[in-house]
Amino acid sequence: MRHVIVTGGSRGLGAVMIEGLLADGYRVSTCSRKKTDNIARLEAHPEYGPYFFWQACEVGEADQVDAFVEAAVAWAGDDGLWGLVNNAGVAQAGILASFPNVESERIIKINLLGTIQMARAASKVMLAQKPSENQGGRIINISSIIGTRGYNGLSAYSASKAGVDGFSRALARELGRRQITVNSVAPGYVATEMSSTLSPSQLKQIVGRTPLGRLADEDDILNAVRFFLSDGARMITGQTLIIDGGIST
Amino acid sequence: MTEDQIYAAIVEIISQTLDDKGLDVPEITPATEVLGDELGIDSLDLATLVSELEKKIGFDPFAKGFIEFKTVGELTKLYVR
Repeated sequence: MRHVIVTGGSRGLGAVMIEGLLADGYRVSTCSRKKTDNIARLEAHPEYGPYFFWQACEVGEADQVDAFVEAAVAWAGDDGLWGLVNNAGVAQAGILASFPNVESERIIKINLLGTIQMARAASKVMLAQKPSENQGGRIINISSIIGTRGYNGLSAYSASKAGVDGFSRALARELGRRQITVNSVAPGYVATEMSSTLSPSQLKQIVGRTPLGRLADEDDILNAVRFFLSDGARMITGQTLIIDGGIST
Repeated sequence: MTEDQIYAAIVEIISQTLDDKGLDVPEITPATEVLGDELGIDSLDLATLVSELEKKIGFDPFAKGFIEFKTVGELTKLYVR
């Protein structure tokens, strides 16, 4: 059974991905700052519970990240670690001139530094796996089209996600020889809690400009993650797959 | 693990790495340079070696910052506690 770590799995897109991957037959570990009702439900789930692991961890705090990955891999035993989905992230809107520096630091720390820390810890595990165990691996970083397109009031967030895409490209070059792929999945405007930073009129305008005429939902992102985790994606690395209904074309 | 056991583990991993790459395994001594031309180990191989040692020994001496080393003997000493 393949083991995948999904960060930020307590709610929103992370929660959807966890349940989707459990349904697909993956062993899944996740972390979040606090245990939510959804985490408790999955832990007690008759079918998924035995294949689900959660531990509190503040992404962006290196010691906690290392401890979480170590605990998750120990829990998975011989299944080792096949994939990492760096999903944990925060968004906060505001014009930069009046945006507190502490908020910019928090966004960069969780979205970018946390992604780097998780990938470091996970890649160490993947590299140490013998070919006879779990050869290769998958690292999938959830970024955003705001990282490439920008958006009024989301400059720090945009910087963090552009950084994630650059990180994916560079790490793909580092790990390629060991058949570990690294890719970004860049959602457009997704109808989740994260898009609550946008006003109703902004959201309406975005839908109007989207060729496919709707916001992406969590399942659209999950399907891209499923693909990158699969053997079918073994020849794809260093890429950013944009899931935005065509708005950025 | 004792220093001798750590040294033996490092030599074993390096030998396996070279074998996996289809390279000849030369005689490895404590004075052999890990990243020198003599072995044919590159930076990804070294990262793999350090990851495997952490798995075996239980800690990463590079976790808190870079530490300079050149030879197999110097690398061994970083893991002695």
